[in-house]
Amino acid sequence: MDSAPPDPTEQTEAYLRLLNQHDRWLATYVYSLVSRPADAEDILQEAKVTMWKHFASFDRGSNFRAWARKIATNQILNYRRSEQRRPNSTLDDQFIEAVAAEIDRRAETLDRKSDALRQCLRKLPEAHRRIIVWRYYEDCGVEEIAAKSERTVEAVYRLLSRIRGVLNDCVNRQMAPTPVP
Amino acid sequence: MKTPPPDERIQRALDGLLSPEEMAALQADVVRDGDLRAAYVDQVWLHASLKADRETLAGLLDAPAPDAGKIVRRWPVALWAASIAACVTLVASIALFGKGTFFRRPVATLVQAENCKWAGSDLPTAVNSRLGAGTLSLVEGIATLRFKNGATVTIEAPTRLEILNAMHCRLIEGSLVAEVPEPAHGFAIDTPDIKVVDLGTKFGVTTASNGNSQVHVFKGEVEIDGLPGDAHKRLKEGKGLNVGSGSTAVGQEPTQGQQVQEEGGWTAIPTSFGRGKDGYARRGDSGAPMGSHPLLIVKHTDLEHGRNNERRAVVTFDVSQFATANAREAQLILDPQPSGFGFSTLVPDSRFAVYGLTDESLDAWNEKEMRWATLPGCTDEGPDLNRATKVAEFWIPRGGSGGPITIRSDALAEFVRKDTNGMITFVIVRETGETNTSGLAHAFASREHPTGRPPTLRLK
Repeated sequence: MDSAPPDPTEQTEAYLRLLNQHDRWLATYVYSLVSRPADAEDILQEAKVTMWKHFASFDRGSNFRAWARKIATNQILNYRRSEQRRPNSTLDDQFIEAVAAEIDRRAETLDRKSDALRQCLRKLPEAHRRIIVWRYYEDCGVEEIAAKSERTVEAVYRLLSRIRGVLNDCVNRQMAPTPVP
Repeated sequence: MKTPPPDERIQRALDGLLSPEEMAALQADVVRDGDLRAAYVDQVWLHASLKADRETLAGLLDAPAPDAGKIVRRWPVALWAASIAACVTLVASIALFGKGTFFRRPVATLVQAENCKWAGSDLPTAVNSRLGAGTLSLVEGIATLRFKNGATVTIEAPTRLEILNAMHCRLIEGSLVAEVPEPAHGFAIDTPDIKVVDLGTKFGVTTASNGNSQVHVFKGEVEIDGLPGDAHKRLKEGKGLNVGSGSTAVGQEPTQGQQVQEEGGWTAIPTSFGRGKDGYARRGDSGAPMGSHPLLIVKHTDLEHGRNNERRAVVTFDVSQFATANAREAQLILDPQPSGFGFSTLVPDSRFAVYGLTDESLDAWNEKEMRWATLPGCTDEGPDLNRATKVAEFWIPRGGSGGPITIRSDALAEFVRKDTNGMITFVIVRETGETNTSGLAHAFASREHPTGRPPTLRLK
């Protein structure tokens, strides 16, 4: 073991490399557990700041993702506590823990799902891609899309639901053969 | 009501289409039922992956037509490059600015801007501009922002507002009225004193630069956090709350001002010059005396409930260094400031009157002692025409004047020429009322104001 004090540049680089590797996964994890995008972004931001502050104590040999996930989950639970007085809170401890455990259990598969998704998106017809861009890139709600596309809210919901269904089937098909080495 | 099949509930939950009760029921079922939980995680992971991949989705519309084969390689490379860039930004943000600098995605749209003038804003100010996190500084007019979650916020000049994210703004100074529909409940406004969290309502917040916040609930309910002792409190429809008044109401010791020779033969005399002084009084004298307050607050109401909110200001200029008998022209300059009291939307365009004190013995009023009853030249009802005369009127439109106001009239110059003791005193009153007791109280910088221009008399 090297006993020299950690070199800050080296630390920054190591943190960047690890965060870069797991950034998208971490975001997906938080978005899965927190439905309001603004809340999810706040939490993600806080989690990354916390991770950066405590990175010196991270054991480089261990699993970064598990460490990051623990910090993010704590941020979510803390956030929930600060929100508890608020009615209509969509965050419930038990629910968060149950879903987080399920994600953990299937971490490998889910990770490959995210990769497959990117290929499946490109197979969508253009009109459907546009809906996806509105919903997820521009962060429009169903009502906003309804106004933009001159459809009813219910019709937009059905369309979105169908597109997500198509994507899910495609993802599952992609994953059926042996994974890319 | 029939329960939709489980899959449909999940899909509806992802688009925010379940009621809080339905959502709670779904969550309970997910905790209980392993199969449903697996299905939920499948669906939510896909949905979350799309959110997490958001930045790369922009390129989706430019992508070539669907081609089942050999498209795979480019994406990860592009993504890798993009996320390296994102990481560098992240670390730079942490290192340089700490929190709150790297989510600049649009969260609101500027949907309306009536006769607006803007200053020092780091966000676009054209109508229909999409706004991310940043600061808006409105110096004149009334502007409306619509947030993605449906909340609308109308700001009234002069106001500085910082957008933090789609659910959270900081009112640095000025006034706003927020209308928050169901999906945006929890929308919060911070002021220097408190945090107002919406619980389903229309509410107004106003805050003065010297730290004094007022909340009024027009409809529904809000929660106020950050009260003294870390207390919080719920406020229901029709109720209002003032925080911070009194504790921070004392302005700076005024710096001694100068009489200044300006271009065109004008001499500018501020209330901070020589024996000059300024102050205001309120019926009932709550918090009095107000002679050293950084603001001169003026309000009139015809509403019975608002009787004790009546306020009048008085300003005295030391003109002993000027040959007033030769004055050809005179101007009174007042610098409007946010008062932290009331809302512009509840008052019409407002008319003010300036009265000159004809009884010169009243020029000797004392800033440290003046109260409602000793406000020079006035009775309880208004200016006393045996001791004062109207010399000018001026208007401030809803949405403010956009900077200092210059008041001029022949009567004003005539009044200055009649001075015999080297002191000139004006009483300023508002003549128009309000439609609701939470209507705006107008304010002008006094000589104790840290940044505003003190009342100034210009003569030539």
